[in-house]
Amino acid sequence: MLGRRVIFGVLGLAVLGVLCLRPHWRLSVSPSTQRVFDTIAALDSGAVVMISFDHEAASLPEVGPLGEAIVNHCLRRGVAVIGLALFSEGTAVGYELLAHRATALGRREGIDWLYLGYRPQYTAAILGMGENIREVFATDYAGRPIDATPLGHRVHNYSDVALVVSIADGSMATYWVEYAGVRYHARIVAALSAVMVTSYIPYLEAGQLAGLVAGFRGAAEYEQLLEQPGAGSRGMAAQTVAHALVAVLVVIGNIEAWSLRRRRRTVAGNHG
Amino acid sequence: MTASAAGIFMAAQYFLNLPAAQSLYRTLLGWMQVIFACALLVGILAVIRSHVVRLIGRPRERFYSLVLLGAIVIMSIAGFSGGIERGSTFLWLFDHAQAPMQATVFSLLAFYITSAAYRGFRARSGESTVLIAAALIVTIGRVPLGEWISPYVPAAAQWIVDVPGLAAKRAILIGIGLGMVTTALKVIAGVERTYLGGR
Amino acid sequence: MTALLTLAIYSFLAGDNPVYKFAEHLLVGLSLGYSLVITVKSVLVPQAVSPLAQGDWPVLIPVILGGAMFLRFSPRLRGWSQIPLALVIGAGAGASIPAMLQARVLRQMGATISGSATLDGAVILVGVATTLSYFVFSREQTRLWGRGTLIGRYFMMVFFGATFAYTIMSRMALLIGRVEFLLGAWLGWL
Repeated sequence: MLGRRVIFGVLGLAVLGVLCLRPHWRLSVSPSTQRVFDTIAALDSGAVVMISFDHEAASLPEVGPLGEAIVNHCLRRGVAVIGLALFSEGTAVGYELLAHRATALGRREGIDWLYLGYRPQYTAAILGMGENIREVFATDYAGRPIDATPLGHRVHNYSDVALVVSIADGSMATYWVEYAGVRYHARIVAALSAVMVTSYIPYLEAGQLAGLVAGFRGAAEYEQLLEQPGAGSRGMAAQTVAHALVAVLVVIGNIEAWSLRRRRRTVAGNHG
Repeated sequence: MTASAAGIFMAAQYFLNLPAAQSLYRTLLGWMQVIFACALLVGILAVIRSHVVRLIGRPRERFYSLVLLGAIVIMSIAGFSGGIERGSTFLWLFDHAQAPMQATVFSLLAFYITSAAYRGFRARSGESTVLIAAALIVTIGRVPLGEWISPYVPAAAQWIVDVPGLAAKRAILIGIGLGMVTTALKVIAGVERTYLGGR
Repeated sequence: MTALLTLAIYSFLAGDNPVYKFAEHLLVGLSLGYSLVITVKSVLVPQAVSPLAQGDWPVLIPVILGGAMFLRFSPRLRGWSQIPLALVIGAGAGASIPAMLQARVLRQMGATISGSATLDGAVILVGVATTLSYFVFSREQTRLWGRGTLIGRYFMMVFFGATFAYTIMSRMALLIGRVEFLLGAWLGWL
């Protein structure tokens, strides 16, 4: 049986090696990623998208590329973005991502984008924004009244928002569906950590989510649609090798266990 | 009684269209943010208190408690004095220390999950065989390797997630939904009080 | 510095050690300090401090209630901290009832039944029904009911297998991200 440290070493070397080689492969785009892309592509220039950074810093390597791809797509299309966070760590992540991409694309704060900040009680925040966003966020992240900005002035609640995107590594996107979707009929898209995909598929299939894109694969597919390779695309080769390694180890482990069982039965049979 | 009154009101106002009810609803939502923020501060203070006790009372763990408390102080000074916007020391510390370390801690799981898959995934029964087969098909099907083997592999992986996987998760969701409603009703009725500390 | 802290965390793979413990405590401290700053500056200042400074006196009510939370530290007065807690929990419970019923129960049941005309839809209907039957513990799982629950268990095994695969995907992505940082941003190899 292989030792634990041997497995750690093999995995580490495999990932390291493939990243150094930097192969790039074209992927077939899944229907769910295509749907998210088409949903944003169909928005009118000047429409408002609300992006909620509902994840921790721990999942940044995975959901960060997703968030970047979606923010890029929105800003490049001329769609206005309002950012916020319902997770404490998502606050800094979302602010820096939005500010950085908006600056790079020449978008103006208060007109093309706005970052509201953080609210800890997600039920109250999601429900409150359905009534009036400024009752939940009277000021933006920097402490300026949102009514003083053209973008903040024209958005009152979800009926002024074309789409809500929840970038989540847990159940937060389901709360958007359950509170904003059920009561205020907001249109919700989930951009998720891969581990949550199976938990959200029922919402997608029931029509409660307008779209779902997840993990490195989702980010790589989205970057391919945008024709802007990023971290998702770069990581797919290493992801492929890592997955193959896990599959091989599971098979080897089962073969070892089966042959051990067989040997024990043979020994027991001989003694009996 | 507070929980009951708040709970009954919040459940009822979903169906009420009265201006007074709407106004009270919006006020209550605003109060919840301030109270919850104070609850977060209480949690932070509790950790600080426990490490101050360790600093004073336990010499062997003093160093690590000092590191923890020192980090809290540094981050707080950076945030309160230097601001929290782009270019601030606060965000620099978040980007260059906190976020990378958080991500690294969780990336350790990749090693342990690989080791666990090798050691623990054994097809000893019909159910475990089905579990392993589904895991292998989806593992391979969601990366380009699956497409190279056969176009049926990613299709099978998608079917597993979209049909039997969906069915089981949907049943679990329905069960959890009913359970959460029951628990909410018990909280409102005052039967469920463990959130108050078990009284 | 980032690379050194990353390697300090990875040293845990060789076993628990002082370098890892130092990094772990540093991380916890930074996280708590971060939460403290963000909670005060992004929430309490705009929601409580600024309105009070502008003479919005009704804000005193949630401020007093929030302040009562700190009475948890006093053995004699901790009972008062339960009032704001009960308010938040009770309100959250009440708000969740229509939301959960609609989103998790009715819409999901509706989607299951309305989609059952296709083969996949029929499989989903069977899967939902048999999996739900498994969780009826007040009934003995024998004979026809027992066969149904067995089928439900198999559906759950498929779900757990798929979830495990996606968990692998997720964790590997985190590892790849960190290794890419070490090779690229730190060593400049990429």
